[in-house]
Amino acid sequence: MVFYAGVGAQVPLSFEDIKVGEEFISPGRTVTEMDVVLFAGLSGDYNVLHTDAEHMKSSQFGERIAHGLLVLSIQQGLLSRIAPELVEPPMAELAWKFRGPIKIGDTVHVVARVSDKRSAERAGWGLVTIARRVLNQRGEVVQEGESEHMVERRLG
Amino acid sequence: MASAAAGPLPRTERSSYFEDVEIGVPLETPAMTVTAAHVSLYAGVTGEVPAADPDGVPQLLALCLSSGLGWRVPRPPLVVLAFMGFDWKFHLPIRVGDTIRSRSHTASKRSLKEGGVVFEHRDIVNQRGEIVQSGRLTLLVAKRKPA
Repeated sequence: MVFYAGVGAQVPLSFEDIKVGEEFISPGRTVTEMDVVLFAGLSGDYNVLHTDAEHMKSSQFGERIAHGLLVLSIQQGLLSRIAPELVEPPMAELAWKFRGPIKIGDTVHVVARVSDKRSAERAGWGLVTIARRVLNQRGEVVQEGESEHMVERRLG
Repeated sequence: MASAAAGPLPRTERSSYFEDVEIGVPLETPAMTVTAAHVSLYAGVTGEVPAADPDGVPQLLALCLSSGLGWRVPRPPLVVLAFMGFDWKFHLPIRVGDTIRSRSHTASKRSLKEGGVVFEHRDIVNQRGEIVQSGRLTLLVAKRKPA
């Protein structure tokens, strides 16, 4: 099942409601220069990769690239718009790979799939794994990883 | 160096390269108080649907802040060519008003033809000394001399 949606109502979801194999495709978002500048200011990461346009002309990328963690954060925001109930439960773990550069003007979207669920050690809780892929406008996977979330079980 | 202009990053003396990275040497960043302004700015950039708890700090924001703090260590800036990935664990929540810093060391490194891979262990620590997040980051770092 595929969902395209704007900001939806947040419905509390319990462990029992989550279906392994369910897939979500987010809307797209264009990564702008303003995103990169704001993120440099917010994070304090002023690496020349993200901030020195002149220098980056002579690099393998030919221009500034977005912070990997910026796009990771945008990805989280995109998913929260279509499946807030899925990404709101706190993460216990996150494994992530940055596969390729994201340039200013690139448009990314996220494909997420519930890949696993199992009981947690803590009583009343379960662990849900979400496999996430970030794709650019050419369909290339630029980032991917898995998040593991602590989700409450239904009482009774 | 004649080839400096063609290189991926400025070859200044005030940089650390793959060869300079020492295994196991602890590095600690200054601390920073996470404010409501950080949370608001971050929400604006990410577009994440706001959490029910206004004093909760988004888990990924702390990781982002640690990436900036990571440059503020007593070592010339590392010439990072690419952030390749990470494996991360979230141990405790962070609240607005908490003060975090990061402690790290290089766990291992591997030389490649061009540059090398550095595996960094990082802990994010709060004002009570509790490790709130931790994990391993994989960085591609430039070498001082071309291979």
